[in-house]
Amino acid sequence: MNIVIPIKQVPETSNVKMDEETGTMKRDGVESIINPLDLYAIETGIQLKEEYGGKITVITMGPPSADKALKEAIAMGCDDGILLSGREFAGSDTWATSYALAEAIKEIEDVDLILAGERATDGDTGQVGPGIASWLDLTLSTYTSKVVDVNLIDEEVDYTTVKQDSIIVERMVEDGYEKLELPLPALLTVVKEISFPRLPTLRGKQRSRKVEIPQWNLENLDMNKEFLGLQGSPTRVVNIDHPKVTRGGTILDVREDGNVEEAVSQLIDYLKAKELV
Amino acid sequence: MKYNPVTEEILAELREIVGDKNVMTDEEKIEAYSHDEIPAEQYAHMPEVVLTPNTAEEIAAVMKLANRELIPVTPSGARSGLSGGAIPEHGGIVISVENMDEVVEIDYDNLMMVLEPGVITNNVNEMLEESGLFFAGYPMSVETCYLGGNIAENAGGGKAVKYGVTGRYVMGLEVVTPTGEIVQLGGKRVKDVTGYDLKQLIVGSEGTLGIVTKAIIKLLPKPTQRVGLLALFKDEATAISTVPKIMTEGRIIPTSIEFMDKLSVKTSCEYLNEHLPYQEAGAMLLIEVDGNKEDIVNADSETIGELCLDNDAIEVYVADNHTTRERIWSVRRNIAEAFKVVSPHQSLEDIVVPTANIPKLMPYLDDISEKYEIKVPCYGHAGDGNLHATLVKNPDHSMEEWFEIEEEALADLYQATKELGGTLSGEHGIGSKRKKYMEMMMSPAELNLMRGIKKAFDPNNIMNPGKIFDLE
Repeated sequence: MNIVIPIKQVPETSNVKMDEETGTMKRDGVESIINPLDLYAIETGIQLKEEYGGKITVITMGPPSADKALKEAIAMGCDDGILLSGREFAGSDTWATSYALAEAIKEIEDVDLILAGERATDGDTGQVGPGIASWLDLTLSTYTSKVVDVNLIDEEVDYTTVKQDSIIVERMVEDGYEKLELPLPALLTVVKEISFPRLPTLRGKQRSRKVEIPQWNLENLDMNKEFLGLQGSPTRVVNIDHPKVTRGGTILDVREDGNVEEAVSQLIDYLKAKELV
Repeated sequence: MKYNPVTEEILAELREIVGDKNVMTDEEKIEAYSHDEIPAEQYAHMPEVVLTPNTAEEIAAVMKLANRELIPVTPSGARSGLSGGAIPEHGGIVISVENMDEVVEIDYDNLMMVLEPGVITNNVNEMLEESGLFFAGYPMSVETCYLGGNIAENAGGGKAVKYGVTGRYVMGLEVVTPTGEIVQLGGKRVKDVTGYDLKQLIVGSEGTLGIVTKAIIKLLPKPTQRVGLLALFKDEATAISTVPKIMTEGRIIPTSIEFMDKLSVKTSCEYLNEHLPYQEAGAMLLIEVDGNKEDIVNADSETIGELCLDNDAIEVYVADNHTTRERIWSVRRNIAEAFKVVSPHQSLEDIVVPTANIPKLMPYLDDISEKYEIKVPCYGHAGDGNLHATLVKNPDHSMEEWFEIEEEALADLYQATKELGGTLSGEHGIGSKRKKYMEMMMSPAELNLMRGIKKAFDPNNIMNPGKIFDLE
């Protein structure tokens, strides 16, 4: 079973500093990591490979330094990496990104399954996974929480039957879960519940250092240039605004030589006025 | 020694010195100052009054008053200690430095920082983040503990293999002595042999020789690269025997070499819902290297990783980004917390032995575990021989049985430690918790020297009395 996993390199967000004036994140000196939610797709892929064989190709679109994310995925147990990198991709929104990734995935042979994280922790849209499925016209399960079974039909079978390779999954919905059987190839976006990501091993790291990561762009891929980068992106960021805190609190501070009795009666008056007591 | 109670008249005088709002007598509020992080209730003791002064002069005035009236004074920081050092054993006054949390100066030219004692250790490094400098002290309670407490206990922690302990970074101290003098010890001088090194005597004195009101600490250029390794071994002996080889064969001094035995790993992983294949492992080492060149740090981590595999490690995981590093470190950091869930009754120990003798200690721990039918998980800083062997109460034992077992098992543990050239505490201190074992570890001559020093500083024995050793 051959699996493709599109991943994204995102800024490590445990200690984010914001630029007060522009409202954007300060990226200087911020470490880049694999989108944490993509790790669940990677783990799911590795588990499927361990059970059914085949190989895993991780693919990302980003600057040349994004090969670090691909190497980390290979160190965890993926096999190959592809880096989509070039000036033509700069400024892509989710529509253009999913187009470019879909075009690249078309070049990978015999893809049975595409696994993606639920969303990226920086953009938070959750659109690229379903977008790829749409461009490639694949069946799709979002919010997938469990792979129940995989039915791979022996190649020797009689092809006159309607039987086809399929995957049975559970996906989370608001009031429970749905169980779906999807014909392969299919695309799953996965949620945290599906697996627990492993750590990269020393041997994996050593292997990943030796893996050559090809860089793909318009020079070696046949893509519609009109669909790429900022010009190919229908999304426009018009303004970035901070939501205003609309609930202002009142603090009755009695630490500094205040009168507790008076503060308490003020509080009671307030609660009475709001008809809360 | 008979101490006098804090009367209404004395309270009025204290209010005069530190201001009304810096005097607490409300039982609910001062209860928090009656204990530190030791879970056992028998070590707790209520103060009569808690003061939160703002200046060294105020503290000096309080000390003069306390001397005149013979009232015990106990300095208090964040109370994250593990030996009872900040507990007011004899009641009296607690002086909390929580209001004294100013950064006085960052001196980039001298690579030093002047701080008040109530600054949280972790905040020091957050403030320095953009400067490319850092403070190398790294106790496990870094997010809560105060710098003042680190100095009083000479805190160690997870980076001592390479960076040493707090004392190495203390260049100067402003101290209020037990008699109420304000003295400046040391300064921004890298070399200084002008008289006795009194500042180093204050470091690790557990609040018995004075209260630190300002500290000059040394900063280092901050390494930009860190790689952590988590190595799983089949048993403790193979894990521990790898430790010296990292330095002798690998020729690398890592930042940290942390050891966790099977029970510690299992308990922590279950507590964290961590899915590492810990069931297969009899012990783990967490090793970290740092530096400024990515290639060199990667090469060092690879050398160490290979060495672990050559020494029969089952698996070696590599954590070279924030997410994975946090993940492996949280296993180590959460062990103590995880055991509190298993049993709130435990004795967290802090023994230290020569590094090469760690494997010899392990059979003793097994013996203690078997003899008293208690669990004795062991984890800690393998790189410097400082191990947090912990005695955990067996739920089948009554509290009376446990108190008896705790005392006897501790005596056994310390005896074994002594035989291996070790001692009672590496970084937590003696405080009130380990005081009764001091005579087992130290000669009468040595103890008498310490008593003499204490008397020279504190003739009325009012500064944190009842800690480390008894005067008589």
